[in-house]
Amino acid sequence: MGLDIIVGIKWVPNTTSVNIDEKTGTLIRTGVPSIINPHDMDALELALKMKDRYGGTVTVITMAPPHAKMGLEHAIGMGADKAILISDKVFAGADTLATSYTLAKTIEKIGRYDLIVMGQETIDSSTAHIGAQLASWLNIPYVYYVIEAEYLRSSHKLKVKRLMEDAYEIYEVNLPALISAAMHSQHPRRVSLKNKLRTKLENPIEWWSNGVLKLNPNCIGLKGSPTIVKKIEFMPKVERKREICPEKDPVKAAEWLVRKLMDEGLLKL
Amino acid sequence: MSGICPEWEKIDPSEYKGIWVYMQVERDGIHEASLQMLSIARMLAEKKKTHVAGVLIGYNVKKYAKEPIYHGADEVYVVDDKRLEQYYAKVYAHVLVELAKRYKPEAILVGATMKGREFAPYVANSLRTGITADCTSFDVDPNTGDIVQIRPPFGAWMLAHIKTPNRRPVMSTARPNVFNVPPRDEKRKGKVIIEKIDELPDPGIKLIKRIPIERKEEIPIEKAEILVSGGKGLGSKEGFKILEELAKEIGGTISGSRKAVDAGWIPHEKQVGQTGKTVKPSIYFAIGISGAAQHIFGIREAKRVVCINIDPDAPIFENADYGIIGDYKKVVPALVEVIRKLRKRAT
Ligand SMILES: Cc1cc2nc3c(=O)[nH]c(=O)nc-3n(C[C@H](O)[C@H](O)[C@H](O)COP(=O)(O)OP(=O)(O)OC[C@H]3O[C@@H](n4cnc5c(N)ncnc54)[C@H](O)[C@@H]3O)c2cc1C
Ligand SMILES: Cc1cc2nc3c(=O)[nH]c(=O)nc-3n(C[C@H](O)[C@H](O)[C@H](O)COP(=O)(O)OP(=O)(O)OC[C@H]3O[C@@H](n4cnc5c(N)ncnc54)[C@H](O)[C@@H]3O)c2cc1C
Repeated sequence: MGLDIIVGIKWVPNTTSVNIDEKTGTLIRTGVPSIINPHDMDALELALKMKDRYGGTVTVITMAPPHAKMGLEHAIGMGADKAILISDKVFAGADTLATSYTLAKTIEKIGRYDLIVMGQETIDSSTAHIGAQLASWLNIPYVYYVIEAEYLRSSHKLKVKRLMEDAYEIYEVNLPALISAAMHSQHPRRVSLKNKLRTKLENPIEWWSNGVLKLNPNCIGLKGSPTIVKKIEFMPKVERKREICPEKDPVKAAEWLVRKLMDEGLLKL
Repeated sequence: MSGICPEWEKIDPSEYKGIWVYMQVERDGIHEASLQMLSIARMLAEKKKTHVAGVLIGYNVKKYAKEPIYHGADEVYVVDDKRLEQYYAKVYAHVLVELAKRYKPEAILVGATMKGREFAPYVANSLRTGITADCTSFDVDPNTGDIVQIRPPFGAWMLAHIKTPNRRPVMSTARPNVFNVPPRDEKRKGKVIIEKIDELPDPGIKLIKRIPIERKEEIPIEKAEILVSGGKGLGSKEGFKILEELAKEIGGTISGSRKAVDAGWIPHEKQVGQTGKTVKPSIYFAIGISGAAQHIFGIREAKRVVCINIDPDAPIFENADYGIIGDYKKVVPALVEVIRKLRKRAT
């Protein structure tokens, strides 16, 4: 018997290609492609590595708009066994409490699992809340920032290593549990053609709307969210002097700069 | 459908009073990040005409109870228990949740250290309340009295103003060193309240081993007066050696861009920017750094920004006070030489 692992991924706008409209000061998001949150690739790789080593299954879940199916196909291509797209208009506008609730109910419906692996945080809203909240809903042990995980078959426990600000820590974790993979801790594998073909032949991606989950509308989406984004303002630009050195010669340029900084009393000899 | 989620207890927000700050205790006392939150707590408490309380959880922590008071708290709740000798997020969260149920604070602030980020969302979830991460400023809505939490998601282009109007306590976190520790005043007086929690949950995890890592005793970049920062344009790890020469000459500290971190040239704790640190030096040298918005976000509070870049069209020039167009391999050694010469002449 191996490990049944669930991995949560978020479908995020590729913020590196988001641009700002200089005239209106608004974000240009049209045409910005979405990607799997890069830090969730660490989570997926950690899970797939464990499956390779100990056997079992990897199921990927995401709560997202329908086009996130592309992300799930990518995850199947990397070696996940199946995927669930949790998608319904009523889930939209969820804060982290409502998002984690929806994910928790999805996992309860899946039923059997030994381990949940999350990313450390997302690149768009980056709260790092979802892991802890999910562990709270499911009332299971949890550990953040995991860099290595080993399955202790005889005791059905996990041994994990994590890196904190000032120490490595090693824990034994009772299963089922939730861990979050430290960002940049793994080297995510590529999609293989053989796995990718499964997405066409076997239909490994299921779509769960609220028709399937049947959650109380007061617990999900905007209504299930205690936090409200009241206003979004654009960051005022800090005005700088923008003086460019007229000198081409490095030594003359250096003299120019040192004089400027000394005149302001910022650089002392 | 009207009403609230049946998972949520009905509450009356008007019963919730006071601003709490969770005090994370480490081997050498209360974590600075926790004390820093007291400056926000004080500001909110003045505006809301309420009190500030610190919360200490652990074993042998009573001896620190006065510290939050010296830094601005009016009260301190202490749960000092042998069973809390080892930090486990789930167990500590349970203690804070129980206290919050007993005393009903309006807000709980937590410093977003690695432990804080792990523990705070569990607390919020158990109380079925909202939590806002990594706030960079706070305010009180003059009309409703709501606490406004301001945070910069999405690659640092925007500031989101977030409220938790109907649930209590309001919870928020802020990254270390975004705020200052309020000055220490041993004359300040306050009440210490000792609390007990009967039952603690099983964390389901057990710490087997802790391997401390030697970190060089360096000034953290958030506190450096002068930062010499390098980016992808340095071309290699060796490039940082050239920057170190300059840093040594002017008493600066090394930092860098995310690409320099991703390349493995410098450790993550030296990353400046939205997903790194916010820095406030008097001089910030951006060398071989293009000036992406996420990077610029981290240097908003630098007094002067100097850049050295080979590409005159790099956006960093728009965001710098003094710019030099040129190859850093030539300009940086020239800077070192000029400063050395001037110094010689001065003596
Ligand atoms: C401007 C703005 C600011 C916001 N600020 C806050 C805030 O301060 N507090 C708050 O409660 N909400 C906030 N939200 C809402 C928040 O973005 C959503 O709830 C989001 O779905 C989850 O938060 P996150 O991206 O921070 O995830 P994180 O908590 O950073 O994600 C951690 C891990 O959880 C998993 N995960 C996250 N989302 C999903 C998903 N949809 N499906 C499957 N797995 C997932 C991934 O493995 C991920 O790596 C904000 C939204 C906006 C637009
Ligand atoms: C969600 C998100 C969060 C992010 N957070 C951060 C963050 O916290 N911090 C951060 O820094 N980035 C962050 N980034 C990345 C950011 O968008 C940029 O990719 C990054 O800052 C670029 O790093 P760089 O300037 O070192 O490299 P590049 O953009 O590659 O620039 C290198 C520069 O070096 C110059 N150069 C080359 N050779 C020389 C030479 N010989 N002498 C002088 N100059 C030379 C080039 O002209 C160029 O301008 C984030 C991105 C995202 C999407």
